[in-house]
Amino acid sequence: MAVCIAVIAKENYPLYIRSVPTQNELKFHYTVHTSLDVVEEKISAVGKALGDQRELYLGLLYPTEDYKVYGYVTNSKVKFVIVVDSSNTSLRDNEIRSMFRKLHNSFTDVMCNPFHNPGDPIQSKAFDGIVSGMMVQTG
Amino acid sequence: MAQCVHSVQEFVQDSFVPMVAVLCSEEAERVTRKNNLSFDELLRPFCRLTSEGHIRDPNNQVQMVKNLRICINSIVPSPSSASASLSPAQRRLLDEVVLFCQPQEGAVTSVITAGDYDFNFSSKFVLQGTEEHTEGLSTTPWFEAYRETFLQSMPASDHEFLNHYLACLLVVSSSEAVPVEQFLKLSQEQHRIQHSGEYTHPKWFIPNTLKYYVLLHDMSEGDEQRADAVYEDMKQRYGPQGCYLLKMNSRTFLAETDEQIPDPWSQYLHKNNLHNQVSIEQSVSAVPTSNNVPYVCWALKLWMNTLVHHNLQLETVSSSGLLLGLPTVNTDLKKPDPDHPCGGTGNHGACLTLNDHDHIRQFIQEFTFRGLLPHIEKNIRQLNDQLVSRKGLSRSLFTATKKWFGGGKVPEKSVSEPKSTCGLLYPPEAPELQIRKMADLCFLVQHYELAYSCYHTAKKDFLSDQAMLYAAGALEMAAVSAFLQTGAPRPYPAHYMDTAIQTYKDVCKNMALAERCTLLSAEILKSQGKYSEAATLLIKMTSEDSDLRSALLLEQAAHCFVNMRNPMLRKFAFHMILAGHRFSKAGQRRHALRCYCQAMQVYKGRGWTLAEDHINFTIGRQSFTLRQPENAVTAFRQILVNDSQQTSTQQGAFLREYLYVFKVSPCEAILPELPLPCIQGSATRVYFGHERRLAEGEKQAATHVSLDQEYDQDLTAMWVHLEEQLVASANRGVIPVTFQPTQYCLNNQTDNLRLPLAVVEEPIIVEVTLRNPLKVSLELSSLSLLWRFTADGGSSSKDEANGEVVTNEESLASGVGIWDICLLYKYECCSVPEKNIYNIHRLRIIFQMTLNDDIITNEIIPVFHLSPEETKMVSKQTGLDMVVTGRQDLKIQGPRLNQTKEDKMLVRHGSDQRLNPIITPPMPLMEVFFLKFPTALLCGEIRKAYIEFCNVSAVALCGLRVASTHPSFFTFGSQVTTPVSPNSAENCSAYKTLAKPPGSQTGSGAAEILVSAEDFSQAPGVIEIPISGGTLQPGGSTQLPLWLRGPDQEGVHEINFLFYYENTEKGGKISHRVLRHTVFICASRSLSVQASACHSSVPQHHPSDQGSSDGALVFVDVENINTSEAGVQEFHIIQVSSSSRHWRLHKFINPSKDKDCKLTSRERAKLCFRAIRCKLHQAKYTFADLNLGNEQIISSSTPCGDFFFRCCQTSESQQVAPSKVSSYGKSQPPVCAENRTSDISSILKKCNELDLNIIVIWKAYVVEDNKQLILEGQLHVALQTVGKEASSLTPRKVEAQEMVLLKFKSEVPPPVVPPSAELSQLIKTSLQYPESYSHAFVQDSLCVVPVTLTLTNCSLAQADVIIDLRHKSTNPDSLEVYSPFTWVGQTQYKLQLKAQEVLCLTLRACFLQAGVYNLNTPRVFAKPVDQGNLCETRQQTSCPALMIITNA
Repeated sequence: MAVCIAVIAKENYPLYIRSVPTQNELKFHYTVHTSLDVVEEKISAVGKALGDQRELYLGLLYPTEDYKVYGYVTNSKVKFVIVVDSSNTSLRDNEIRSMFRKLHNSFTDVMCNPFHNPGDPIQSKAFDGIVSGMMVQTG
Repeated sequence: MAQCVHSVQEFVQDSFVPMVAVLCSEEAERVTRKNNLSFDELLRPFCRLTSEGHIRDPNNQVQMVKNLRICINSIVPSPSSASASLSPAQRRLLDEVVLFCQPQEGAVTSVITAGDYDFNFSSKFVLQGTEEHTEGLSTTPWFEAYRETFLQSMPASDHEFLNHYLACLLVVSSSEAVPVEQFLKLSQEQHRIQHSGEYTHPKWFIPNTLKYYVLLHDMSEGDEQRADAVYEDMKQRYGPQGCYLLKMNSRTFLAETDEQIPDPWSQYLHKNNLHNQVSIEQSVSAVPTSNNVPYVCWALKLWMNTLVHHNLQLETVSSSGLLLGLPTVNTDLKKPDPDHPCGGTGNHGACLTLNDHDHIRQFIQEFTFRGLLPHIEKNIRQLNDQLVSRKGLSRSLFTATKKWFGGGKVPEKSVSEPKSTCGLLYPPEAPELQIRKMADLCFLVQHYELAYSCYHTAKKDFLSDQAMLYAAGALEMAAVSAFLQTGAPRPYPAHYMDTAIQTYKDVCKNMALAERCTLLSAEILKSQGKYSEAATLLIKMTSEDSDLRSALLLEQAAHCFVNMRNPMLRKFAFHMILAGHRFSKAGQRRHALRCYCQAMQVYKGRGWTLAEDHINFTIGRQSFTLRQPENAVTAFRQILVNDSQQTSTQQGAFLREYLYVFKVSPCEAILPELPLPCIQGSATRVYFGHERRLAEGEKQAATHVSLDQEYDQDLTAMWVHLEEQLVASANRGVIPVTFQPTQYCLNNQTDNLRLPLAVVEEPIIVEVTLRNPLKVSLELSSLSLLWRFTADGGSSSKDEANGEVVTNEESLASGVGIWDICLLYKYECCSVPEKNIYNIHRLRIIFQMTLNDDIITNEIIPVFHLSPEETKMVSKQTGLDMVVTGRQDLKIQGPRLNQTKEDKMLVRHGSDQRLNPIITPPMPLMEVFFLKFPTALLCGEIRKAYIEFCNVSAVALCGLRVASTHPSFFTFGSQVTTPVSPNSAENCSAYKTLAKPPGSQTGSGAAEILVSAEDFSQAPGVIEIPISGGTLQPGGSTQLPLWLRGPDQEGVHEINFLFYYENTEKGGKISHRVLRHTVFICASRSLSVQASACHSSVPQHHPSDQGSSDGALVFVDVENINTSEAGVQEFHIIQVSSSSRHWRLHKFINPSKDKDCKLTSRERAKLCFRAIRCKLHQAKYTFADLNLGNEQIISSSTPCGDFFFRCCQTSESQQVAPSKVSSYGKSQPPVCAENRTSDISSILKKCNELDLNIIVIWKAYVVEDNKQLILEGQLHVALQTVGKEASSLTPRKVEAQEMVLLKFKSEVPPPVVPPSAELSQLIKTSLQYPESYSHAFVQDSLCVVPVTLTLTNCSLAQADVIIDLRHKSTNPDSLEVYSPFTWVGQTQYKLQLKAQEVLCLTLRACFLQAGVYNLNTPRVFAKPVDQGNLCETRQQTSCPALMIITNA
């Protein structure tokens, strides 16, 4: 399904990045990092008037030649980015949305861990499992 | 951001300017060459018209032409056809243009703040403040240069006429023999070029090209009148509008004047030449050859550039022989000017005065307004007329007829053919092209409205004809002219541009045109603030075919992102990286480096380590290839220093690269700093002193402090406590205010606030902890410690001024130093990955410092001897060529402060002075050795060992003391005895013995010795070591016997000794020194002794003998509790001694008459002794020895007595704590009752007090290694009270806990009645009577037997005693064996007994018949005299006193 899943802290440093073709890790890092601009643009575009009512799912951030980049921002401004292969047409918006929701839930669990220091990179087996679940289904 | 010098309008306008060709005669060329310029170059700075021109449009409207620029080029005809892409030469030129246009070093840096990012552009910039963010615009001059060159080098194509030549200047010199003929020749030449068909280039706008005749007159050499004459002739011939006389070269070439002529050429002409010069000059300086060579080099290069600039097609130029420029340049080359070897900017226009400049300017103006503009106007009118004449036909009909009749033109429709993707080609006279031509003309003279409508029409025509290339061109120009229309009647049609670009790129495959279109469109979009669209356009234009173009466009796109309303810095950074990549592919390393550096600002320190590493790596590589090894080193270092997330192979690659770069980079005077491995500053340990020898032969050295020991808070506190005790004892019980505990080993937990003190000539060991953060192993070798010593020489000069002799001490005292320690090492890389990620290497550097001083000069010249001990980390030697040498500074950050509020809010660190020792004058240094020191002992075992003190320094020491955690463990003996060498007394007993007189019987009276307690007592814990003379001279050593006694409790005991010594000369910075020693003694169980005492009820046989009527029985239970099967065979109790102030053992009651008391495993023996009260001798202790064996051991002498007193002291100090607890519990009862009871109890206690200490001396026979050993030992039992059992085993801690528990229970006050058990012992009674008595009852029915009742007052108080003999069998329990007897005579006595008085009462018992009687019926009540009736208590008479009465 996804080829790269990233969690970015409020201050825009990576909390978690995993990508499937590991030899291309750098490229995904660049892609995810660059996508943050669009995320910020989208957040600011929504405006402050709506407040909490904001839709967390940002939709397609931008398409590149090979990948589609989707974004999701929690209320605490933690960003989730999912990069999907462009060739994978079976993925609908709804599926991406549910992937994000799953990711968010798992992230919340990680944050609830009293031993987790907020701001540290995520090191959680459960989270890893969820993420690999989303990546493995590539088929 | 490409911020143009001009506005966008100007830029676009200047991109399309009327082109004018130049044809020069050779002579004319020679004239201009004097200025080092060709004719077209000469004119170039003046090509922009400052005044306004006018033109009439076809409708006769006057149109203003403002700020017009014309482009004048000399003709270089070539037969090649137009190519869709740039030629290699053009590309090379563009490359060079970009290469030579670099941002200046150290230029103004601008800071852009966007969001939470700050970053710098290192070039000029314009700041535009908006309310949301600061928008920084920096120039990218290389891009502008590129764009300018690119636009100028656009090949003329058939589908547009903008860069076709409109006019031709024919230039002839006045010095020519027949100038008019020359004009004719040139005119023919021009005609030939345009119409012969030999050349496709240059292209001409209109068949009927405007020819303008210019007569060039050289003022310096020609005849001016002749020139005027020729000009008059020309005017006649060509009309005044078509010719001009240009006078120039007013200044002679050689006339050197100070007049500064502005050089307008330098900026217009060959900007790149300047760069060329610089670079050539640099290369020249590197190659020391003859003077000519550099000039030729430069000139050649310049010439090449000029040439390229002229015609952009180098190959064709060099192939075709007829060149106008080349010969002259060659002549230039042949006559190098020695005065101006490198040329320079100054020799452009050297022969021109300012007047000449004005002439030229005037000439251009004249030409444009009189010649060019009217020509254009005429042509527009003509074209318009042609078009209008055709207007009658409807457009559709026109095309229809064209279709039906085939028309005059044969459109080569070839959509299906792949070759002509540009659509169809029109012949030059096609009407569609006429419209385009008119549009172009209108555009050139700034009539944009007309131009737009024409372009629009043309576009429709071309589109309907599917002539895609033409259509695209029309679209492009339509969009541009729409943009340029003043007042903006219609919005800028961006989609026109998009379509045009698309068509150029995809259909026509003409990248050059597409690029031009993109450049224009992007610039226009940017000017309208549509940055995102501009960026998209620019990014779309990047392709594989040209790296340089892609790089430049990507960079521009990146700048677009950063200039957006919400700056997209990450996109900027990413595109900068892409641009950098393309730059590096295009060979533009500097630009690549710049791009990466700018991108780095966004990525730096934000956790995107992978990206950061990649950028750093690239920066490092590029810097290195650009010969900036410092930057390269910094960049690579960054990769290694950050906690790298890379794989080990990647890390290895990075490391190798770094090492290579590091090695290659120039070596400085100071060693460069290496980033790896990380020194963990806080883990640094500093050790002052020698590395100790642990053993020397059979001598065992004191453990002292070593780096192997881990720091332990509790242990340190213990040592400090011991040291405090020692210092207090040395200073008469007071600890000085300045006291600081000695620290030999400093680490991150010790108190490092003070400067540590180090003694001169003693080594300082620094232990550094290194961490390798990489997954690759590092090999370190040749490590050494660098340090610096600063002598504080101030005091010595002062001394000299006072005229005093600088003594050794003073000069040494001045050696207060500051140290800088850093670590020097090499390391090399090997590719073997370590499994251990955090591989901590320890390294230890030892160095010794010696301080010498030169007495003759009275100056202190410190000399240091550095003897580093090197430690190889990894023995593997690989890649020796990769060895680099560097250093790392050892800095220690102090602990974080957390005391005040400020400290808590900020992150503050305290100071850490670990590495800044002060060197002090020599101090004594003592070493302590132990001989025959056991590791295992039985509990209570006495062993003799020897201790040796050596003074290894050059200074005498004194005040030797020792403190220990277990003071009862050892003794040096109380008397100063001559030390016996340990060998002489191999098997001797540790005890001092006396041979027993053979006659004396076992168990007979005890030997008795009085000993004063002062002989043994010393301050608790601290023992002054009795060395002879009190001082230990330098190099001297002394040996002392040392007795050890096994601890009373089994188990492993850690025993710490702290030896203290001082310098014989006081007043140094270090007041004293200490030496630590820790031993572990394994104590195993030996015997357990339990003793109890009771008042003997048997009266003394010889009370007069003893002086005291009092006696007690002491029962000693000895049990062998040793559990080791193999070791101890049996214990012999050889002597039991007593030591007390009041009592002493008197006699051994031995019923079995055993000679020896032998105890094998788990056996138990009971010994019984009689103790008697001894005379009071104040504080003196009476030692009484009762030996069971053959020898008598003098218990009062050294080992035995010493240990006895030491044990007493410790046990007393231990008992303080529990008694306090119990007193708290007792304080509960009411005060009134307490008063009385305390009185009674104290009296009672006194009477029960025994305070008898029993010393049991034993021998154990142990088989060890098939040898029988005899071990000796002693156990102490302190009998405090009568009746209470005491044990040699110290009571368990549990009891103390129970007492604590009781405290909570004792809420109810205990009964006021004093314990009867205690009171009952106030008076001791005994009955003396015959055991059997025979009486003839037949004779006398009454048998009266006298019985003596002995009353002994045990207490020291007077007691009232009431004796009641009346028989009262109220008690049912009382044993009544036979019929009662009666006491006769006085049956009740009231007596008063003085202290310890013994009173005998004779009673008479009367029996009626024979039988066995219990005589113990008298009831004795006793009370202390002062007490009330309340406490009268019946004295217990425990055992029955049986008397047998027989009938005789």
